[in-house]
Amino acid sequence: MADTPVVAPRARPPTFRRRPPTPRKRPPRPAARYHRAAWAFSAPFCAVFAIAIVAPLAYATYLSLFQDRLVGGTVFVGLDNYLTAFGDRLLHVGLLRVALFLAVQVPIMLGLALLAALALDSGRLRFAGVYRIGIFAPYAVPAVVAALMWGYLYGDEFGLAGGAALSGPWILTSIGNIVTWEWTGYNMLILYAALRVVPGELYEAAEIDGAGEIRKAVSIKLPALRPALLLAAIFSIIGSFQLFNEPNVLAVLAPAEIATSYTPNMYAYNLAFNGQQYNYAAAVAVVLGGVTIVVAYAVQLTAARRERRS
Amino acid sequence: MRKPAIAALFLAILTAALTGTAACSPAADPADPAGAGASGDAGRRATAADIEKALQTETTLTFWSWVPDIDKTVALFERKYPKVKINLVNAGQSAAHYTKLQSVVKAGSGAPDVAQLEYFALPQFALSKAVVDLNRYGAAETKDAFTPSAWEQVTVNGGVYGVPQDTGPMVMFYRTDVFDRLKLDPPKTWEEFRTVAEKIKADDPDAFVTSVDPSDAGGVDSLIWQAGGRPFAIQDATTVRVNLRDEGTGRWAALWGDLAKRKLVDPAVGWNDAWWRDMASGKYAVWIAGAWAPGAIASTIPQSTGKWRAAPMPQWDPAAPAAAENGGSAVSVLTQSRNPLAAVGFARWLNSDPEAVRSLNTASGLFPATRELLGSAEFTEAEIPVLGGQKANKVFAEASARVAPGWQYLPFQVYANSVMKDTLGRAVAAGTDLGAGLTAWQEQITAYARQQGFTLASGS
Repeated sequence: MADTPVVAPRARPPTFRRRPPTPRKRPPRPAARYHRAAWAFSAPFCAVFAIAIVAPLAYATYLSLFQDRLVGGTVFVGLDNYLTAFGDRLLHVGLLRVALFLAVQVPIMLGLALLAALALDSGRLRFAGVYRIGIFAPYAVPAVVAALMWGYLYGDEFGLAGGAALSGPWILTSIGNIVTWEWTGYNMLILYAALRVVPGELYEAAEIDGAGEIRKAVSIKLPALRPALLLAAIFSIIGSFQLFNEPNVLAVLAPAEIATSYTPNMYAYNLAFNGQQYNYAAAVAVVLGGVTIVVAYAVQLTAARRERRS
Repeated sequence: MRKPAIAALFLAILTAALTGTAACSPAADPADPAGAGASGDAGRRATAADIEKALQTETTLTFWSWVPDIDKTVALFERKYPKVKINLVNAGQSAAHYTKLQSVVKAGSGAPDVAQLEYFALPQFALSKAVVDLNRYGAAETKDAFTPSAWEQVTVNGGVYGVPQDTGPMVMFYRTDVFDRLKLDPPKTWEEFRTVAEKIKADDPDAFVTSVDPSDAGGVDSLIWQAGGRPFAIQDATTVRVNLRDEGTGRWAALWGDLAKRKLVDPAVGWNDAWWRDMASGKYAVWIAGAWAPGAIASTIPQSTGKWRAAPMPQWDPAAPAAAENGGSAVSVLTQSRNPLAAVGFARWLNSDPEAVRSLNTASGLFPATRELLGSAEFTEAEIPVLGGQKANKVFAEASARVAPGWQYLPFQVYANSVMKDTLGRAVAAGTDLGAGLTAWQEQITAYARQQGFTLASGS
């Protein structure tokens, strides 16, 4: 790519009398130097990325190709663990459960975050800063602490719900409530930041044309928010598939309702640390990662296509 | 042009990171270092003198245990061997403890030197070579200090994988305040137990004869044991039998299924604050548990001291009274320990020194596994304050003598117990058919057994 402009001037017609600018005569060294500098700057990131992300992933994939049995020791089994995983009813149920969770909880949470961000941005709120911090604050509470706290609120000992929140039909809703409480503020902040960069002239122009606040929100703010919403949606999808802390903490209070295979992540954890099936757990984790990538990518692709069409 | 070089560098880093990880894993099952003696030249065994010498050397040992007030006995050890410092860690109770222990064993580092292991969990850690075979440290010489049944429970395929700490002969603890108020006698049979359950419920709809924890397989195992069920068996090193449909298990399921369905027992999770509060308040009139229970009551809900009494478990056949073991632990030395000699010395002193076993009995309420203390008059005549001064050790000793023989745990009982709550536990909590729950539990255990390479014996 860097070479093409060097050749281009020679093809120009002779009427072009001025001497070509000197830098063009130089060999393409600067580009190489830029590349080197770029790599140097990103090297610390790459090193940490390799050690903290790539290596564990590669190791998990490697582990997933073996079986370590109490009788017979470790044997290479190729893709056997994956075949088992694809036929594993407990894993299917767990995946369907988090998919249902995703389909219901994520739209509610993003809807609330959107409303909050639009309200903050409207400039009509008094003490907007207080609202902003207030809605964001739950995100600062560690997930385990949040789940414990809600667990007590749900429980029949000190709680408000008389224990119903921890009974069979309500437990997934209860978990959804905790997650929404924790993450609405975080998503609101992403959306709010996106709104702040919308140029003020657009609003002025719209006002001159007679648009009210609602009209401005629908015609200017929402389109401007689309990339940020997509980002927030992808984060939430990944988060939903990795659901672990909240059900794992509540499982202590409602052990019969939240099985050891309640979510795929809990299943992998319990396979590894109660069942000593580290290899199969690694395969389950890889499958979960694959499903997450596919779903997240599908959402991104659909959004991109819709963007192009409009 | 530079890209391949950088890619190569990237790959090099990756390889280094991977081999780093791989290099750690052999440490997961190191031939035990003192053991450097034992595995290096196979014939040499550590002698009592070696162990005594290690206890006179500056060292720190980490000890994981959830026994209440065990720090008092540990302090006695530190007074006797001032150069050895014990770092006592409570890593959680039973299941939580094993999950953490399993993790650090697999990680290859971070394991304690010494850990409490209930007898049901011992075979699993022994089979995976996570704990040291004490035969290398002269275990045979200490055998006679312990009761045969306790010694049997630390022996797996000829190896000795722990020092017996206590046993848990199961008895019935009942609240005198509740029984006196309702003019009830402690039930002698399970039929009487059912009647008592009905009367307590009729008197107060919020009260129960007892609670049953849908996540605690240990309690369920013991009740099945006493009912004559023998669902688990190890036939040889690679063959197991799982039969949760045998007659005794069915007998247990019929009674407890009925109690759960009629909400005569409370399916409450045990050992948390809420449960202890209900135990203190008298919401539960009975607690069927091992002889270690008074120690737990004394340290957790001292306000109920004196209201409890011990009686034998209700019987299925009064003509042939039977009891079971519930809990009971050994103390094992982890193969990861850097100082196994001192660790063995500590584990042995803690559980066989006369002063130590007395302290464990009086301070922590553990039912001893040593013959010396069991046979002494001070033990049989001891009045237990939690039980209103009752000489309850006689009740425990009688239960211990009546423990029904032939019970076995699977070599992967920790896993089997961990999935009870997904299967049988759900039925207990919901008060539905326990038979279906038992079948589901059976299926999950046998699938795991096959996956782990075991052969399932006929009748599974």
